[in-house]
Amino acid sequence: MEKNTEKGYIALLGWSLGAVEAAENFDRRYVVVAPDWAEEYCTQHNIPYVSWNFERLNDRSLEIAETLRDMGVDAAVPLFEETVEWAGAINSVLMKNPRLHGQAVLFRDKALMKRRAQLGGIRVGIFEEAHEKSDVIRFFKRVNQTLLKLDGDPDDPIHLKAFDKAGCLGHRIIRSPDEIEYISESEYPLLMESHLDGWEFAVEAWVWNGKIQFLNISEYVTLGYSVFVPATPELERYREQITRQIELLIEAFDIRFGQIHPEYFVTNDGTMYFGEVAYRPPGFKAFELIERAYGFNAYQASMLVFDPKATEEEVAAFFPTPLEDAKGCAGCFGVYPRKRVVSRLELPEETEQHPYFDYHELTAPLEATVTKRTAFGTHWGLIFFFGDDPQRMRDLLKHQEELDFYV
Amino acid sequence: MPLDTDSPAVEARLPQRLEQFDEALAVLAQAPSFSRAMRAKRVFDIARRVLLEPGGCQALEHRAAVIDRSGLFADSDWSTPQHLLPALTPLSLGSPDADTVMIESLSELRLLAVAKGDYPHALISAEHAHHYLTQVLALNLPRLFDMTSEAERETQGRLADVPRALFRYLAERIGFEFIIDVMIDEIWRLLEQRPLLTDSIRQMITQIALCQANPEIDLGTSGQGAARLVSSLFGPTQGCREDPGVDVYAERLSAMDIPGLQQEASGMARAMRDIGLVSPYHPVLLRYLLDHNDHLISEALGLSTTGRDCLLCYHQLIKALVDGIAYPATAQAIYGLAMLLERGILYQPPLAPALWRQLALPLSNWSRQRLTLAYGQSASPEARLLEGVLCMLGLPLGVGQGNNPTCQSARALSMWAYNDPDYLLQMVAWAARDDEIVMQFEGQPISSMTSGAGLSTGLSLDLDPVSLLVVPHLDRIYAEMGRLCIDREGDPHRWVNPEFHGWWAGRGFHIIVDVTTGKIEAPETFYRHFYATYHPFYNGNQPLVHPQPAGIAVTDSASRFIGWHAITILRAALGPDDTMRIYFFNPNNDSGQDWGDGVVVSTAGNGERFGEASLPFAQFASRLYIFHLDPQEQGAPADVHGEELADVMGYLRRSWGAERLTET
Repeated sequence: MEKNTEKGYIALLGWSLGAVEAAENFDRRYVVVAPDWAEEYCTQHNIPYVSWNFERLNDRSLEIAETLRDMGVDAAVPLFEETVEWAGAINSVLMKNPRLHGQAVLFRDKALMKRRAQLGGIRVGIFEEAHEKSDVIRFFKRVNQTLLKLDGDPDDPIHLKAFDKAGCLGHRIIRSPDEIEYISESEYPLLMESHLDGWEFAVEAWVWNGKIQFLNISEYVTLGYSVFVPATPELERYREQITRQIELLIEAFDIRFGQIHPEYFVTNDGTMYFGEVAYRPPGFKAFELIERAYGFNAYQASMLVFDPKATEEEVAAFFPTPLEDAKGCAGCFGVYPRKRVVSRLELPEETEQHPYFDYHELTAPLEATVTKRTAFGTHWGLIFFFGDDPQRMRDLLKHQEELDFYV
Repeated sequence: MPLDTDSPAVEARLPQRLEQFDEALAVLAQAPSFSRAMRAKRVFDIARRVLLEPGGCQALEHRAAVIDRSGLFADSDWSTPQHLLPALTPLSLGSPDADTVMIESLSELRLLAVAKGDYPHALISAEHAHHYLTQVLALNLPRLFDMTSEAERETQGRLADVPRALFRYLAERIGFEFIIDVMIDEIWRLLEQRPLLTDSIRQMITQIALCQANPEIDLGTSGQGAARLVSSLFGPTQGCREDPGVDVYAERLSAMDIPGLQQEASGMARAMRDIGLVSPYHPVLLRYLLDHNDHLISEALGLSTTGRDCLLCYHQLIKALVDGIAYPATAQAIYGLAMLLERGILYQPPLAPALWRQLALPLSNWSRQRLTLAYGQSASPEARLLEGVLCMLGLPLGVGQGNNPTCQSARALSMWAYNDPDYLLQMVAWAARDDEIVMQFEGQPISSMTSGAGLSTGLSLDLDPVSLLVVPHLDRIYAEMGRLCIDREGDPHRWVNPEFHGWWAGRGFHIIVDVTTGKIEAPETFYRHFYATYHPFYNGNQPLVHPQPAGIAVTDSASRFIGWHAITILRAALGPDDTMRIYFFNPNNDSGQDWGDGVVVSTAGNGERFGEASLPFAQFASRLYIFHLDPQEQGAPADVHGEELADVMGYLRRSWGAERLTET
């Protein structure tokens, strides 16, 4: 792609092949900032590259910011949860705005984040930090007391999450007090949340100049298993309310630009509860789904809204109109083996023959025995679907949960 | 959720899949090189489902050119289809990895389009593609006839449907009934060249035998010609007619009387001399004779008076050699030994002691490892190398370069085995024992240890044992000699060829191409000298004394230039139809090639000896670009007839000369 030399460079923090490919095909010059294991690959393929190991922020943090500034970089785009704070620190130097780092810290700490949201007038569930087992037991009991449960009634579950990990990593559901025993010491401290009996969904929003430029609603069929874009009409009817919520979020976190990925619950009466928000691309290849459904590249969208040299016309021309411009509905399903012992990958005939089936990224099993899942764990690969009807997509994704992909 | 099984839904699937496929392919085509692998995965996955639909294979075949251009094969072995080895396809198509199965399947469909003439490919001709597919079909007959084993089903599951669907389609397109016949013709054609490497031919014959033995397969009238091949390999004599296994055969031998053994011996010899392959029963017989009736060894080798004389003169040596190679895994060595004796080269004084050295040669660790890596552990590395040595000395024209750009080294080995056998044995000793070969270049020693990289960066293992050990050294030395000539004006072969091959390569040198411009220069002068030196009608009826290195501009069946290639001119003589022909050795694995414009290299039927290739003199001359001669024996270039030159010029102009001739 012909590069526009009137604009500066954009730095991509973290290694993502999809992001590099998008950058290569975009008119902005770019540089990949990634750990040294990526160096050989980048050199081999002529990918502009700066080596950096993203560990804890330390005295040398200024060094990478200055290196990038001297190269002509205007903005740093975080690709992973681990690089969000780095992007904040680097951008505060590049854009001479120290508040950007503080803002990034909010995104990295789930307890701080919830508190900030609450201060901004956003509804959040009950939450608390836990430092040891007794905290969890106390929280579990109190939540269930508040719900006026009697002895013998099934308890309402609570959710435990690591402070600073992305998505489902470290996410556990506690349904009874004895399950608390299984939490290992190393998982503390953690965040505890009451369970919201609502409908969970995610939003990907690109913000520029303090305004939403594009808002996508990703519907979860089952958390940790499947997601699709755009959502069913049942969820899309809340679009206006959702937009209002995101605007509150932008105000509360003082977001001028960037791409955010918040999660919400909507309860039966239409009340929105804020779950959490990330300042980076969502997991589960949601960016690919958006590209499949809408035809624009979501990584390029992020590079654009981060770039201080982007113009109003450029931004307006880049994004399509939500829903109206969707070419179809794209969904994906994360496969977990259901059997304890598996020998090979074999897609169910009905999945493979379904007209919505696009392709899969599953790999042959490396080991015959499936390790038991603690928490939510990681899926073994994704299956992609594409079709016209979001409702049919939802039912199709739900159905996949009952099938064996590894036999 | 019920499956859509009603036919309109099924029929609708293919167009839907193809739409997805075309989209995925377009994404791949636009992907930068570094993310191609990621994008290719989706293409493979959709292609798999396309292929399994009725009409899917055909749709993919039609897309051959687009698939090729998308970069799906880039940076993989499949990007150079001219070098693909049919013998590897059973492995890739049987892989549990879907992507491997798919890249191989798509490549097969692409070559089908090439073979059918629908897709002219820059790197591979239609004929080559057709040959390749015939061999692939031959090697995968079990899949074609749906004889896949349980093991395959277990590792591949429903993925095994892909190769089955592919082969049904390939067979249908190529013509099912004559696949086996074409294959048999192909086997005979290859065997007439008496190659040193026989594994894939053996595999093909085995596949035919399995099909014939299976009552569920109806071959119709085809496959009749296979009987001789199958029986020569699996039941060459009365004692092993029904392929009883080597142990049973050994027992039967111990119960036979002398006339019975004599019959076995002559039967084995007949089968071996007939097809050039040695049955695994043959070494069992030889070992028995060695211990009990050694006077029948000559009979078992099928020797003529020359061979028998040689055997009697060097009785102890031959017995030691037989003892070294009489194992079912190294059976082919028996044919090599028989041919070695027939050539009478043992009468050259250094040869017998050099073979004694070979018998006692300690191999370096590296040599042992390479031999084991290439041929497995069915025979000791020593026996493998001895087999290789005997075969190369017995069949100097059976050397092939494998899938490597090392035609010069293969040519040198062949030339030494043919012309200077004890020098070859010296090379083998240095390489196999010392891991180093030193050659002289104009008085300066060049060691293979200190020389830089050769032409071939990673040598493939599809080589005979001698080439496997010696070629890496020769390749580096050859490249080093080239580097030493870098500052000299003109073509480096002028100096390198005589220094590399031997004193007998003429110091006089002619080249038809201007090295800097690539244009053809003074073609008539070039041809006059060639005729005056090599053509018996112009050189005083002098037969060629030593084999001479020469360079060929290889063209494909459409007469397009493909590349420069090294060959050996062996002799010029009248063919059976009284036209003058050049007989030459081509280190390429299969010499039978169509070079376009009616220039078809013949390997049998025109007076060729085993392993020789031949062309009418003028046709050969038109593809020649380098030759050597003795400056003292220049003949009379002026006497060469104008019509002869015009004939050559015509062939040149209609092929690789088209763009290189500067008309004056």
